[in-house]
Amino acid sequence: MAIANESHQEEKNMDAHHGAGRYWLIWGVLLVLTVVTVVTGRMHLPSFGLLLALVIATVKGTLVTLYFMHLAEHRGANRLVFGVSILFVVLMLVIPMADLGTRFRGANPPGSQYSDLQPADIGTGTQRGRFGGGVRQTETKDTPETPAPHH
Amino acid sequence: MQSSAHTADGAENLPRLAGHFASLEVQNHAARLGMWLFLATEILLFAGLFVCYGCYRFLYPEAWAAGSRSLDLTMGTVNTIVLITSSLTAALAVHYAKEGENKKVGVMFALTLLMAVGFLVIKYFEYAHKFHIGTLPGRYYHYEGIQVTGIPLYFTVYFCSTALHAFHVVIGMAVLSVAMVRAFRKKDFGPKNYTMVELGSMYWHLVDLVWIFLFPMLYLV
Repeated sequence: MAIANESHQEEKNMDAHHGAGRYWLIWGVLLVLTVVTVVTGRMHLPSFGLLLALVIATVKGTLVTLYFMHLAEHRGANRLVFGVSILFVVLMLVIPMADLGTRFRGANPPGSQYSDLQPADIGTGTQRGRFGGGVRQTETKDTPETPAPHH
Repeated sequence: MQSSAHTADGAENLPRLAGHFASLEVQNHAARLGMWLFLATEILLFAGLFVCYGCYRFLYPEAWAAGSRSLDLTMGTVNTIVLITSSLTAALAVHYAKEGENKKVGVMFALTLLMAVGFLVIKYFEYAHKFHIGTLPGRYYHYEGIQVTGIPLYFTVYFCSTALHAFHVVIGMAVLSVAMVRAFRKKDFGPKNYTMVELGSMYWHLVDLVWIFLFPMLYLV
């Protein structure tokens, strides 16, 4: 019975017809936020740049789900499903990051920011191979970083 | 309210009610809930790549900064605007489907598909440039301009996430094409029968939603 009531309520909400104007308004806000995130992103803000970009993206995402995807008019079950999936995303992000942030320093991969060790030489060249890329030998010949062969 | 399809509905344009549903309301609710469940799995699919992004960015912040600056911000911004606008036309298609204006539904989906093609074309040029200069994942990385530890990992994450996203764009285009053809041919969408338009459009908004997060993560920070 409760489910039937919920269906009825949702149907009523979806039937309550809004003008198309609301979609255009949301579109305008999304475009403005895109410009804001591009402008602030190009400033390369030192510490809170990533945080700011993620906050703006979250606001944009919320607008899309609430109004374009009609979550604002949907009832409990749909909101529960979406909310739980977002909660799991946050858990999936937080737990590995907490692990990485609290590791014994020597357990981080050599060459990474939190390691004292040099990156492993994977044997593709004395200078370049250390960076983990299989640099093509033929194309590295006349770059300034590669010392010219002695004759 | 001038459309002919709208006057014809009432009895004719009601969708078929499956025997195990008490009413049309319950059936619509179930369809919507099923779509949200599916979208939740999609969100978690992309979340796996976001976790890779987070972990490797934590380990190799310099590579991430260098990698994101090597991308073409103009193309990325244009693609963001294209995708947001295509989301608007998909939302408007639902709006017109509720009013029974099938022709407008078809036109809105056609515009959405056009912008989706535009998105993929721009993406193709970005990919082609990367293949040309050699900013590729793993051992295929051979770009001289940036040699920082971990830079091939940045491009692994870049290609995995954008390719998975582009694949979703293609699937979304297929779904919306079916709805578009039905709006033009059968013309049976109306106030009581718009579930197909609504759910197809929800999928498209998910594609937009994922890009809203991928764009700043890859291009800006």
